[in-house]
Amino acid sequence: MSSITLTDVTKSYGSVQVIQKFSSVFKDREFVTLLGPSGCGKTTMLRMIAGFEKPTTGEIKIDDTTVSSGGKFIPPNRRGIGMVFQSYAVWPHMNVFENVAYPLKIQRVPRAEIKQRVADILEAVHLSQYIERMPNELSGGQQQRVALGRALVCSPRVLLLDEPLSNLDAKLRESMRFEIKDVQKRFGITVVYVTHDQTEAMAMSDRVIVFNKGAVQQMDSPMNIYRSPANQFVADFVGKINFIHGVASGGRIEFPGGQGMAYSGEKRGPVVVAVRPENMTMRTDKGILRGTLSQAYYLGDTNDCRVDMDGIALRVIAAGHTYGQIDVGSPLWLDFDEYLVFDDDGVDQTKILS
Amino acid sequence: MKGAGSVPVQASLQDNKGFHLDVKAMLIAAIVAFLLVFNVFPMAYLVFRSFFGENGFTLETFKRIYTYPLNWNALRNTLVTAGLSMVFGVMIAFPLAWLVGRTDMYGRKFFRTLFVMTYMVPPYVGAMAWLRLLNPRVGTLNVFLANLFGLSGNPFNIYSIGGLVWVLTTFYYPYAFITISRAMEKMDPSLEEASKISGASPLKTVMTVTFPIMLPSIVAAGLLVFVSAASCYGIPSIIGAPGQIDTVTTRIIDYVYVGSAEGLTDATTLAVSLMIIANLVLYVSTFICGKKQYITVSGKSTRPNIVELGKWRLPVTLMVSAFALIVVVIPFATVAMTSFTTNLGKPLTAANFTTRYWRILFTRKGILDTVKNSLISASVAATAGIVISCVMAWLLTRTRAKGRHIPDFLITVGSGTPSVVIALALIMTMSGRFGINIYNTLTIMIVAYMVKYLLMGMRTVVSAMSQIHPSLEEAALISGAEWQRGFRDVTLPLIAPSVVAGWFLIFMPSFYELTMSTLLYSTDTKTIGYELFTYQTYHSQQTASAIATGILGMVVIVNWILNRLTRGEFSI
Repeated sequence: MSSITLTDVTKSYGSVQVIQKFSSVFKDREFVTLLGPSGCGKTTMLRMIAGFEKPTTGEIKIDDTTVSSGGKFIPPNRRGIGMVFQSYAVWPHMNVFENVAYPLKIQRVPRAEIKQRVADILEAVHLSQYIERMPNELSGGQQQRVALGRALVCSPRVLLLDEPLSNLDAKLRESMRFEIKDVQKRFGITVVYVTHDQTEAMAMSDRVIVFNKGAVQQMDSPMNIYRSPANQFVADFVGKINFIHGVASGGRIEFPGGQGMAYSGEKRGPVVVAVRPENMTMRTDKGILRGTLSQAYYLGDTNDCRVDMDGIALRVIAAGHTYGQIDVGSPLWLDFDEYLVFDDDGVDQTKILS
Repeated sequence: MKGAGSVPVQASLQDNKGFHLDVKAMLIAAIVAFLLVFNVFPMAYLVFRSFFGENGFTLETFKRIYTYPLNWNALRNTLVTAGLSMVFGVMIAFPLAWLVGRTDMYGRKFFRTLFVMTYMVPPYVGAMAWLRLLNPRVGTLNVFLANLFGLSGNPFNIYSIGGLVWVLTTFYYPYAFITISRAMEKMDPSLEEASKISGASPLKTVMTVTFPIMLPSIVAAGLLVFVSAASCYGIPSIIGAPGQIDTVTTRIIDYVYVGSAEGLTDATTLAVSLMIIANLVLYVSTFICGKKQYITVSGKSTRPNIVELGKWRLPVTLMVSAFALIVVVIPFATVAMTSFTTNLGKPLTAANFTTRYWRILFTRKGILDTVKNSLISASVAATAGIVISCVMAWLLTRTRAKGRHIPDFLITVGSGTPSVVIALALIMTMSGRFGINIYNTLTIMIVAYMVKYLLMGMRTVVSAMSQIHPSLEEAALISGAEWQRGFRDVTLPLIAPSVVAGWFLIFMPSFYELTMSTLLYSTDTKTIGYELFTYQTYHSQQTASAIATGILGMVVIVNWILNRLTRGEFSI
């Protein structure tokens, strides 16, 4: 039963505005991910919800309580929020039990109850056997669980996670993803998750908010973010994509090399056709575009190829078993049915700037 | 964005409660006020007095002072001895800091403690020891060496510029050692690894990567040695006087002791010369360094990687041991032995053995009173100093308060000012002329100690604070703790060893301080440093040695206790 309501929130440091006007409601039990390159403002947004930063303008509410607006400001320690930091922030001078028990101690929970609740939480994050260990005797993944346990032990209304998996190795990261999702469902909490890893965002979120340069680019379900990105930045940042510049005129898009494709949309003039590599198929009989296979890499599950189309390199990802069916250097046809067309204003919108 | 996020919310909490007195601004104002009254104003007045006589601006005093060849000599001696001590001190400290901090030399921890402990003993004890060892006629070591090599005369004469440089170097290099090792231990090891992977040998890596990166710290260390050596009174007075070698410091104190108004003016003028030299050195060194701030040196703590010395491991250890033997063990042993010797002309045998001087140390009221005075003034200075250090550490590492660098700068300048200048400036301004009269009290000593030694404490706490990631404190806050509670539960336990170390770094030099105390003491406020010096110079070398050995023992014991209390984390 916790929602977070942000209304017209902005943040500036001096004359530099790092967050453009932002409004949204994070619903109860929703898993919201703030996704974007480093320096895009996502962490600042999270820290404003936590209360470590004060919005320059705007209002933040948790449920019906206004935690930050104009003159009113509730400090982080009175917001009843759990948070996991990127660096874990596990206190090096306290053991696992003391770290996790700390929020309960602050609340003056009776000793016996602390013991029970810490034990339960450690069970949930699979740390029961490490209860006496000092942080320097734990691996990164274990420290991360301690941080998670400490954030959850008070049954917070809201859990904030600031790139919690970025310091872990790939395998662990993948399994932790499911654990965090599992914990969120079990405890029924609202989660705001900050990451620059689009796969993490896709895997866990109910809703993804893509940020760049302090401004929201798109706010939608993972599937919509992926399949109908709002602009070239989102298309490029989430997943892999090929951009082919061309000119649209009645019924066709012409590419510089002389080829073209049928187009029934409304756009006219310079456009960018965006196609995901896995949505392209290579074939030897007729397709949409002609090209030459210039590179092919066998990656087991996929066959990762580069196709040269009149001097433009296009990436094509096909199923692993197709490797070797077409020789490198051979001509081929490309076919695709799912693609997007953006207006080309001459500016490279995929550039990541902060 | 991460960096920008490290600003705490304390200020905002204050805003919220409705009172708009900014705590940070108030703290800064309080520290700056203290420094303005007791540091900036006295120095400024000193400069003013040296240029303005009764009839306005004049260079008369400067002319008068420098018509005496004696003063020119003193100036030259100061520059030569302090300059050489600086060069030699750094040349010793850098390799030692590297060997102790970054290699697999045997007994690194032991050597580190040994060198750091030298910082905690009065430098003039070194003069007392070397006086006994290298006296041109009867010096123990001199005689021993002459016999060993069958020389016709004794090889060394301590009463010389060379002797002065030798003692100054061997007792001030620990200042450089502490400064350099601290920076060295914080250096990101991957920088050196990158050099090695590029094919550079360990020595090449030290010369092309480690040394240049450490340069700002090395310059700071050299400066510290220069200023300390230039403003030292005990060593040039004990060694220089018999050899008729004057330094600016001894001249200034002579002038003050003359007592006349003219004497005081002359002292002031000389002090200003010394101050100008110190500031010049400061300016030139900052200019050379170009205000280089290497991010990699400060910041998060990284485990320094250890260079394997291989076949050099044993020889290097032996060399360092020999150095420690000559520079630390022999002098201290000499002083300790002197304190048990009845007749100084004869070697220490059972017949020549006495505990008389130790009984004097523990029974004579004069000595005990000075111990009490020193304990009180050093404890107060250290405690007040460490409080300021903690506040400064908080301001510097956890806030972006405007003006937080002002007190930082003033504290640095205060430490860079020669002790004799500080003392003289305080005498001129704090004896009632401007509404404050603390002359002849312990307070003026405390103030002087704080101005001079605050920096060491502050640097220690700041470096500890900067190694605590702000998210550790934020985690306490988000766990529901008020920031005061979070500070108590998280920050304080983590910086405690450094706070204790910082306290000690202010306490020890204050406790045995001589130069400033010599100028500031009154009959009721004599300090142990001054008492020791008086015994050494006028009364009884044995009693002086007993006092010195007592201080030595105290340093060892307190070090040990603190090490136990902090479970080995106490380190300077």
